[in-house]
Amino acid sequence: MIICAVIGTNSSWLAGSSIAAATILVWRFAADAPWARSFWFSLKIGAFILVIRTIVGVLIGVPIPGTSIFTLPILPLPSWLAGIRIGGVVTQERLLSSIHEGLIIVAVISLFGAAVSLTSPHKLLRVTPIVIYEFGVATVIATSALPNLVQSISRIRRARLLRGDEKPSWRSIALPLLEDSLSRSLELAAAMDSRGYGISRKRSRYRPIPWRTPDSAIVLAATLFFAVTWVVMK
Amino acid sequence: MINFSRVSLLYPTSTKTILEDLSFEITEGEMVLVIGSTGTGKSSLLRLINGLVPHHTGGILAGDITVDGISTQLVRPGELAHLVGIVGQNPAQGFVTDIVEEELAFGMEALNIAPEVMRKRVEEILDLLALSHLRNRAISTLSGGEQQRVAIGSALVMNPKVLVLDEPTSALDPIAAEEVLSILHRLVHDLSLTVVIAEHRLERVIGFADRIIHIAGDGSAEINLPEEILKRSEIAPPIVHLARALGLSDVGLSVRDVRRMTEDIRTSGRDIEIEKVKPGAVTVSAQSLSLSYAGKKALNGVSTQIYSGEIVALMGRNGAGKSSLLTTLVGVNKQSTGSSEICGVKSLDLKGKVRREAVGYIPQEPSDLLYGQSVQGECQQADKDSQSSTGSTFALLQRIVPSINPQTHPRDLSEGQRLALVLAIVLSAQPKVLILDEPTRGLDYQSKALLVGLLKNFAKELNRSVLIATHDVELVAELCDRVIFLAEGEVVADGPTLEILLSSPAFAPQVAKVMAPRKWLTVSDVLRAVAE
Repeated sequence: MIICAVIGTNSSWLAGSSIAAATILVWRFAADAPWARSFWFSLKIGAFILVIRTIVGVLIGVPIPGTSIFTLPILPLPSWLAGIRIGGVVTQERLLSSIHEGLIIVAVISLFGAAVSLTSPHKLLRVTPIVIYEFGVATVIATSALPNLVQSISRIRRARLLRGDEKPSWRSIALPLLEDSLSRSLELAAAMDSRGYGISRKRSRYRPIPWRTPDSAIVLAATLFFAVTWVVMK
Repeated sequence: MINFSRVSLLYPTSTKTILEDLSFEITEGEMVLVIGSTGTGKSSLLRLINGLVPHHTGGILAGDITVDGISTQLVRPGELAHLVGIVGQNPAQGFVTDIVEEELAFGMEALNIAPEVMRKRVEEILDLLALSHLRNRAISTLSGGEQQRVAIGSALVMNPKVLVLDEPTSALDPIAAEEVLSILHRLVHDLSLTVVIAEHRLERVIGFADRIIHIAGDGSAEINLPEEILKRSEIAPPIVHLARALGLSDVGLSVRDVRRMTEDIRTSGRDIEIEKVKPGAVTVSAQSLSLSYAGKKALNGVSTQIYSGEIVALMGRNGAGKSSLLTTLVGVNKQSTGSSEICGVKSLDLKGKVRREAVGYIPQEPSDLLYGQSVQGECQQADKDSQSSTGSTFALLQRIVPSINPQTHPRDLSEGQRLALVLAIVLSAQPKVLILDEPTRGLDYQSKALLVGLLKNFAKELNRSVLIATHDVELVAELCDRVIFLAEGEVVADGPTLEILLSSPAFAPQVAKVMAPRKWLTVSDVLRAVAE
């Protein structure tokens, strides 16, 4: 809901404040579990994207008129690339719009990361209705991939360091990582399969997670928040 | 209970037949052990029982397998969930939920069992497996032995008639392994549960097995009584090797049996001289190393020194801090306090070429070190890294395992071959110190013997140091000069192998148990004592 609001309203203030809110939430409430690190990982990725997005946004694209900050030399491009310019005058407006767009991407990524951090992917599965079995399995594999990834990366990076590889290339980490996550996910799917997941159309609940008034209140508040921001921003 | 009739199995990606025309029957309340070298299809055989092979993995299956009268070809693995409980090689990867109690209930929820029944069964299992105090713990914070018990519990809670376990003790220390196995033994006898178990470390399980299925590797398999199989089998626990070496008429399967047969040897054998290792130069030195994770101490003031030409074992229970000590010694735990040096260089300053030439480290998952697309690619990369002549790493690898195909992808190698590849890569830089974390996990006896020979050669001929963290007491007895024993992050004992291993019955090797009170650890020790 908040992710929709961030994208829909296209407001960097909203994006910034939702990142801050998510950070506080994770910092305050995330359990000390392996998956809790996903959020910090997603923040790191977000920051990286923001920097790249800003640099690319400032350097390449259609100029936006406004207050000039500094001027870069214009890279000569063939004539058929009309309308695209590399370098040139960097205006305050252009810098701001690049950061603004970057910030919204970061907000979406970090909100997703926060969601993964705050609840274990396994818990998510327990509330999935049995009717959408295939979808449920896919969701588990997908949501457990990110935390597994974070755990595996540190293990593989350490191993590469130990082989005397001080600056391991992304490829040398990505390949074992991919294999590792794939085999883990397959293992999980096999385990679920052999324990009868999806066999019975109905599913009983052991100490079900009950739907309480606060839950309704949160959903209501989120909807209200979404509606209000939508109206205000339009 | 389980019936295989003329079963053949073949994976389309390989030309090798895994199983060929295999027929046998396992009756109710039997405990059957599956043995065979790595890569011969033990796991495939186990997974055939509940239909994970071929339903989940693919493969071509001929013949029929029935469990309690239900053919696995006709139903999905999940439909056998109430009948067959399966515990995989790595239980941590098979956990679906994150809290012990919820994990136990997961399978029953899926089968739509009434909540009251579930509550009752969960309580029973918590009591049966002594897990009650862990019921609300996050599974990721449990020790290896506890996780294994949770995995067994979550299979048992479904009241299955068959329990299938793939190497249930390979990651466990001797005491935890004993706990798990005695629980299984009790279930077989009390509830007439049928148990099928694959295990490399026969010395741990042999006493519990009613029959053995021996998979030869060429597709054929034999099922028979343990005594019959072990009379001829290459794969045998140390006491069987002892009986063979001494020329006893019968092979005894328990320490008690063999003790009765060898009474005269215990009285007549002479004391043997233990070669004293002359300490060489200090290669590894640690001064009051401490390390804590999230407020919990993993290492607490560990100080020790390792000399050249020495093979040292690092032992201790699951979670005693063995891996933490190793990673701190090689300098990848930045937050540790105290000082550690390898060959005079501070561990944290080890980098690149200096690191490769000072210390070779083989992690618990050797495949973490591999990223090439083929064995050959890996070897070439190692040649380049260590600036040795082209092909020298591959030559070294071929000395260890002659039959390896250079075009194979490292993932497709067997456990033993992969360890050999990693060893060749690490040794190509000719490090002064070699550190291995649990190298024998999942290795068969043959690969283990190879490893022992290689490491002995490395340490004694080249006068280098080897440090091994392991749970495998038989390996330690064969290989190591000295044992450092860790508990709760502290060194509790440090001394010659003989002294340390004999001081605690749980960590004594099988031959030593047979020969107590004489101080012989291995079959070759006994032979020397008799011959002299």
